[in-house]
Amino acid sequence: MNDAILSLRGLRKSFGDTEIIRGVDLDLHPGERRALIGPNGAGKSTLFHLVSGNLAPTSGEVVFDGQRITGWTPQRINRHGLARSFQITNIFPKLTVFENIRLAVMRQQVGQYTFWRVIDRLAGVRAATEALLEKVRLQSQARTLAGEMSYSEQRSLELAMTLASDPKVVLLDEPMAGMSNEETHYTMELIREVTAGRALLIVEHDMDVVFALADRISVLVYGQVIATGTPQEIRSHQGVREAYLGEEAAA
Amino acid sequence: MTTMRTPLMVAAAALALLGALPLLLPAGLLNASIQALIAALFACAYSLLAGRAGMLSFGHAAYFGVGAFATVHAMNALGGTGLLPTPLMPLAGALGGLGFGLAAGWFATQRSGTAFAMITLAVAELLHAVAPQLKGWFGGESGISTMRAPAWGFGFGSTTQVYYLTLAWVLVSLALLYFHTRTPLGRLTLALRENEHRLRFLGYDVHGLGVSAFALSAMLSGVAGGLQVMGNESANYVVFDAGVSATVVLNSYIGGVGSFLGPALGAALMSFFGFAVSDTTQSWLLYQGVLFVLVMMFMPEGLTGLVSATTRLVARHGFVAVLPLALSAVFAVLLLAGGAVFVVEMLQRLFSQDYRSLARMSGTAPPVLLFGRSWLATALATWIVPAGLLAAGALMTGVARRCHRALVQAASHEAPPSAATLAERALP
Repeated sequence: MNDAILSLRGLRKSFGDTEIIRGVDLDLHPGERRALIGPNGAGKSTLFHLVSGNLAPTSGEVVFDGQRITGWTPQRINRHGLARSFQITNIFPKLTVFENIRLAVMRQQVGQYTFWRVIDRLAGVRAATEALLEKVRLQSQARTLAGEMSYSEQRSLELAMTLASDPKVVLLDEPMAGMSNEETHYTMELIREVTAGRALLIVEHDMDVVFALADRISVLVYGQVIATGTPQEIRSHQGVREAYLGEEAAA
Repeated sequence: MTTMRTPLMVAAAALALLGALPLLLPAGLLNASIQALIAALFACAYSLLAGRAGMLSFGHAAYFGVGAFATVHAMNALGGTGLLPTPLMPLAGALGGLGFGLAAGWFATQRSGTAFAMITLAVAELLHAVAPQLKGWFGGESGISTMRAPAWGFGFGSTTQVYYLTLAWVLVSLALLYFHTRTPLGRLTLALRENEHRLRFLGYDVHGLGVSAFALSAMLSGVAGGLQVMGNESANYVVFDAGVSATVVLNSYIGGVGSFLGPALGAALMSFFGFAVSDTTQSWLLYQGVLFVLVMMFMPEGLTGLVSATTRLVARHGFVAVLPLALSAVFAVLLLAGGAVFVVEMLQRLFSQDYRSLARMSGTAPPVLLFGRSWLATALATWIVPAGLLAAGALMTGVARRCHRALVQAASHEAPPSAATLAERALP
């Protein structure tokens, strides 16, 4: 268990008297694709916030790549190699799509205080930005304002921004929400391709995606992981069927 | 191609005009031009923070003033010979502004929105309160005076030489500000305004970005302060006055804080307007305030917003089609302004202390001298003039509205603009 790249140990989070995360232990291994499923309000997004530094846990710890990152700022966690997307689209709506991705690419290539170089002359940044644009099929929208694109296109943009920093661990919060079947399928293949060699933790409501993409699945119910296993094991797990999967598994 | 070349040609023409001003203007107006240039630089420096970075500072007089005093001390250093040759003196202002901006910005940018504005206001007010007590630093009530030492073969005694020195510094500073918009740091400054939260999760230190924008803005405000000291050969603690902070906010927003040269335009126009009007009216501050409110209500993007809206209309419908709208709008504004100014000036005179005591002594309402004529306050004919102007202005406004509606209706038959042109329009 010690070779995990991301470990959550006894993680708890309360808002006032309400305990949302009630002691979560979870190990994510390098190269693993893990899906996190659970009913609405189970605490999936809260768990993402705790891992990525958006919220501080009430108790417990997060160990990432050998270091205890509990209490770190989001930017420090990101620089350490953990990138995430958001359930509610989180982009720069009044900037162009190209600029959105370029901002994400720039951090690693030139850093944030570069005031002596003209950005248009940075060939590496441009090439990386264009490659990402092509990957998420937004080349034709490069000059569109991000906020004027359709919802599913904004999801693709956010995926590109998340991947831009070449992270070791990727956290995706419902990346396919609002996408058509064709887009979902394409994005799933894309996620499979770009997360090769990285660890992935994904929250997704589309069970076809979850079962096709994930190596293993963890089920979160009321702030606790009630089961972890391969898609086959989860499908046949009695507790999961009762607590959550019910209709989907029967269908 | 023409769209690429037009801004360049406008810039070249503006540069030529600025270069030729000393030949065209009498000394008084050239002095006003120096003040306008300084106000323009100050407004552009301010707009880097308020416009691009989206942080509304209410205390930018602090950095202007620190730059001014840093420069005056640099000029008086070494027994009056100065730390630097005279043409390089604003560097001291830059350094002062940068240093103080880094310190104040480090605190202020810990917060955003209202709290940020209040911190900047407090810093400036603090300096304004403390400065008169620190005689050694700020010269007390009387301030500190200095002399421009001759350097590099120039005496810097004439207004023309001071003008060219100021112009050179303003242009270099504006070039620096423009360059900043093209750098990774400049792009991040814009992103900071758009979505600070996302920047964090892309690995950026947003506090550091905020401090960098604050410090750069303070540095160039310091240059502006330094230039003012060079021009006036003195510095006084009144540069920390809240009025200085307020003026740069008004100038920038009237010009259009969202565009690069808008604030410079606004500041230059308001400086000249103030210069021209402040001698002839006591209500100058009222006009400035009313103008600001009107711009904010009807043109939130400032004068540059008006310019770009007009260019868009012309590009879309052609010059001839827009002409009736433009003419009727200009006439409406002139008529309304005429009527309003008449009422304000008349009331200002009627309620002045002089007039009231005069009226009390004579027992009647004596005529008021205005615009080279005398008007009777009690005569109907007097008030028919502004009423007629205002009514005609309202009528013209109606005509302008009708022209605009006709244009829009004509446009609705055409195709809507593509997303690409929309994006281009929104690019800074």
